[in-house]
Amino acid sequence: MVKNSLFLKSIRDMKNAKAQFISIFIMAALSVTIVTGLDSVWKTVEDNTNIMYAATNISDMWIYVSNPTEKQMWSISRIKGVESIEKRFTLNAISDIPGGPTLKVYAVSSKSALDRPILQHGSLHSKRGVILDESFAKKHNLGINDKISLKLNSKWTTFNIEGLALSSEHIYSIKGNTMIMPDSSKYGFIIIHEDMLKGIYGQKIYNQICVKLAPGADVSEVKNEIGRLLGDDLIGSVAKGEDSSTNNIYANIDQFKTLATVFPLMFFLVTALITQSTMFRLVENQRGQMGILKALGYSKGRILWHYTSYGVYMGGLGALTGFLIGPVFFTTLLIPWLNLSLPSNQISINYLNLTYSFSLILACTGGVSLYAGLKLLKDTPAQLLRDKPPKEGSHIFLEYLPGLWNKMRFSRKLIARNTLKNKMRLLMSVLGITGCTGLVVAAFTLTSMINGITQHTYGITYSYDHKIILDKKADSRYIHNKRLDGAVALVKETSVEIIRPGGKRTMELLTVFPQHSPLINLQDVSGNSILLAEDGLTITRKLAQTLGVSVGDIIELKSTDKGYVKVPIKQIIYMATGQGMFMTDEFYESIGETFEPTSILVKWNQKPDEVFLASDYVDEYVSRTTQIEDTNKSTQVIYIAAVLLITMGAILAFVVLYNSSILNFSERIRDLTTLKVLGFYQNEISALVLTENILSVLMGWILGIPLGKFIAELAASGLNDQLDLYSRTTFITVVLSGAITLLFALINNIIVARKMKNLDMLESLKSVE
Amino acid sequence: MAFITFDNVEREYHVGNSVIKAVDGISFSIKKGTINVVLGQSGAGKTTVLNLLGGMDSPTKGRIFVGEQEISDMSEHELTTYRRNRIGFVFQFYNLVPNLTVLENVQLAMEICENPLDSKEMLTKVGLESRLYNFPSQISGGEQQRVSIARALAKNPDILLCDEPTGALDSATGRKVLKLICDTAEVMGKTVIIVTHNALIADMANMVIHMKDGKISGIKNNDQPKDTEEIIW
Ligand SMILES: Nc1ncnc2c1ncn2[C@@H]1O[C@H](COP(=O)(O)OP(=O)(O)O)[C@@H](O)[C@H]1O
Ligand SMILES: [Mg+2]
Repeated sequence: MVKNSLFLKSIRDMKNAKAQFISIFIMAALSVTIVTGLDSVWKTVEDNTNIMYAATNISDMWIYVSNPTEKQMWSISRIKGVESIEKRFTLNAISDIPGGPTLKVYAVSSKSALDRPILQHGSLHSKRGVILDESFAKKHNLGINDKISLKLNSKWTTFNIEGLALSSEHIYSIKGNTMIMPDSSKYGFIIIHEDMLKGIYGQKIYNQICVKLAPGADVSEVKNEIGRLLGDDLIGSVAKGEDSSTNNIYANIDQFKTLATVFPLMFFLVTALITQSTMFRLVENQRGQMGILKALGYSKGRILWHYTSYGVYMGGLGALTGFLIGPVFFTTLLIPWLNLSLPSNQISINYLNLTYSFSLILACTGGVSLYAGLKLLKDTPAQLLRDKPPKEGSHIFLEYLPGLWNKMRFSRKLIARNTLKNKMRLLMSVLGITGCTGLVVAAFTLTSMINGITQHTYGITYSYDHKIILDKKADSRYIHNKRLDGAVALVKETSVEIIRPGGKRTMELLTVFPQHSPLINLQDVSGNSILLAEDGLTITRKLAQTLGVSVGDIIELKSTDKGYVKVPIKQIIYMATGQGMFMTDEFYESIGETFEPTSILVKWNQKPDEVFLASDYVDEYVSRTTQIEDTNKSTQVIYIAAVLLITMGAILAFVVLYNSSILNFSERIRDLTTLKVLGFYQNEISALVLTENILSVLMGWILGIPLGKFIAELAASGLNDQLDLYSRTTFITVVLSGAITLLFALINNIIVARKMKNLDMLESLKSVE
Repeated sequence: MAFITFDNVEREYHVGNSVIKAVDGISFSIKKGTINVVLGQSGAGKTTVLNLLGGMDSPTKGRIFVGEQEISDMSEHELTTYRRNRIGFVFQFYNLVPNLTVLENVQLAMEICENPLDSKEMLTKVGLESRLYNFPSQISGGEQQRVSIARALAKNPDILLCDEPTGALDSATGRKVLKLICDTAEVMGKTVIIVTHNALIADMANMVIHMKDGKISGIKNNDQPKDTEEIIW
């Protein structure tokens, strides 16, 4: 009975302060939604990736070596830490599917046990049969028993699709470093039987050794040991985590991990401040009632719980709602945009952070109410029943600036005193608006960063019509004699093994072209056009960061046939995408290599030479316009992120401003009535409450700009290690974010002003509250 | 010549299904520059009359004239303008703004009206020249009520409305406050309407209106009001 009536009382109290309790609820729900949601994204990706890595028995390292001998295989398998090895043949080949998408071909033996595909449909019975990338097949409507042809060794060979599968090497499936985001319609994998190679190449050939290490083995040490064993035969080596697929997945996971730390921090802080100001006010208003309950003989614990329960109910309910929404909402919204090829997207929950966030919410809500209750309960019932001493007016620092203070209108003075005396409320609004502006700025900055990729790469760096990948038989002499009608740049792109200062080995992309090539315009980090260095390496800024090198450092390059060549880094350039090393054809030849182009860039004087493009000499070609479209298409995820950020910002702004206006308003209802009676107009009275909002919008806006830049950089950092994104906070971004935040504030002010209009003058004059 | 005229004024309140007639068809007129007292038991409708006259409430029936203006058909905005320029209010619970000093509370009211008087002079008149920079919480109830009187008068209103201005004060202080209101108003030639329970004050009023159950039960004109000095408090 008794318990029941107290419960009814808390429900009615909450109804009376509806707006504030809804704010607490929304903020609690929002905080938990974001923390559990973002956590679920990375946890889901991580768990499903790890499950897949285990199921496919993924290798720890891949060694590029041409036709390793039995003896080499045997000695590698004997290296300490190596558990098992397998050789295979792999290369990129063009398919006969419309658009000529590339497939990465893996030729493996039937006994292969490493890097196994996960079969989704069909099986592999015959040697002519192939297993095709399921994601690729879906995009091109291919199924079991359909045919697919590949251009291998300059000849087309047709295969029968017998199985559809997913591969742990193609979860994040991008082609070298020419793609920015995975796109299964453009790139996939296909597994053929190694015996097929005999018919195509005349013999069984191999170019890769897959290495599985024992748990705890030192990857770098094994790499170096293999390098020593293979000597000049080694072309290069890539460890798990260094290749584009595994590397980008880890980057994605890390990115969401950071976001899941930064965003909730902001939201939890605002939640704490909102509950703090609301609960304190609520509990203090209940002074008298607390006195009555105490006088009636209710125990201290009972009364405390009664008040603590307000916060606990609201916070708990909000947190629960957040937990129900967050993981499902964020994973279904975001994961598909990552374009990962995983067999399952079973949602995983990070229970540790879930527990933390629940405890934090309950501490913010219940804890604050408890504290407020405890503070009041110190008084005796008699003290509680007596009126609270009126709030004391006090002088503020502005008054010590007589020049300014004396010039202010009294209504302004009133605003100033009131605002400065309620610093918590101001802090809450400023923080909320900082968050809002930050999110909006982040949204704009991210979008401009991503748009910057296409703008820089295809607007500044390159100006060709077509990039044409040449067949092996098209050498520089052929191109020369062909006399294509247009500007032509010869380019050699190749992957080379390097040893960084410090001894670590990795494979990086090396691009070689003549110093005065047309159609290529390189820029240094500050945007000045420069030419390739004549006597050394030119390296992109992002790669320099990844490798930890700078101008003047020496890098060892694995040469094609004899050992390593030491080359100095001469120059750092900025490339938005396609990070790597560059050198001139002359320098390339000076270190003992021969310059044969792998591709040409062409800007046609008239129409493209269709005959040439369709000829045997051309492996594949792509127009710059297509590249721009593809890039734009693959980066659409950014718009989803932008909308998400702006929505969160809007919610934050509304909740915070509404809450602080209502608090401001209800705390001063008597003052405001007095002013109304004195003959102040409605808009003058509204201004007294709402000016504070505009003030906090201005302050929050200024603070929000650097925050937004920070969030954008954080969100972009893990996007793809091939991207070097410049976050420019442009004038437009600053103005637009301010305008949007101000718009939110104005909408809020209209709503609150309407509420204030109903202020009943006569009612609140009747007594001292 | 009547300055204020109530013509068959009625104010109804709807509470749930029942209708309460707080003011039930009253008519009277008041001359300019006079002191008037409204007497009656609690719930008689005194506050309602004052609120109607002060433009804080509108009648449900009847008409109210102040000077050449009819205030009973004014819009919310017109009423506010009327309040800001013509009315000074003194309440039972002072209603000072706690965040403003004594001086600022007076200046606040002056900021919005047409011909305000000097704020320091007003505060000197009510004897508070030494408390200008105190906040309301730092002065006594009687002093707060004096600030509220200074605030009402500083606006230089035509009409001063006082709703039980001594209700929250002890009787000695209350008397001083009443005397202050009457003295200053007389000197400044304001029209004053005071709601009070203090029957003594009736002797110095030009007119006394008795109210009961929302109706006027009697009006007494006093041709020779006593000077405030003559009244033995
Ligand atoms: N807002 C209101 N709603 C309902 N009834 C009201 C309201 N204001 C006043 N009344 C009623 O009108 C009557 C007169 O009130 P009031 O003018 O305040 O009396 P007085 O000031 O003489 O004590 C009372 O019965 C009171 O209950
Ligand atoms: Mg009354």
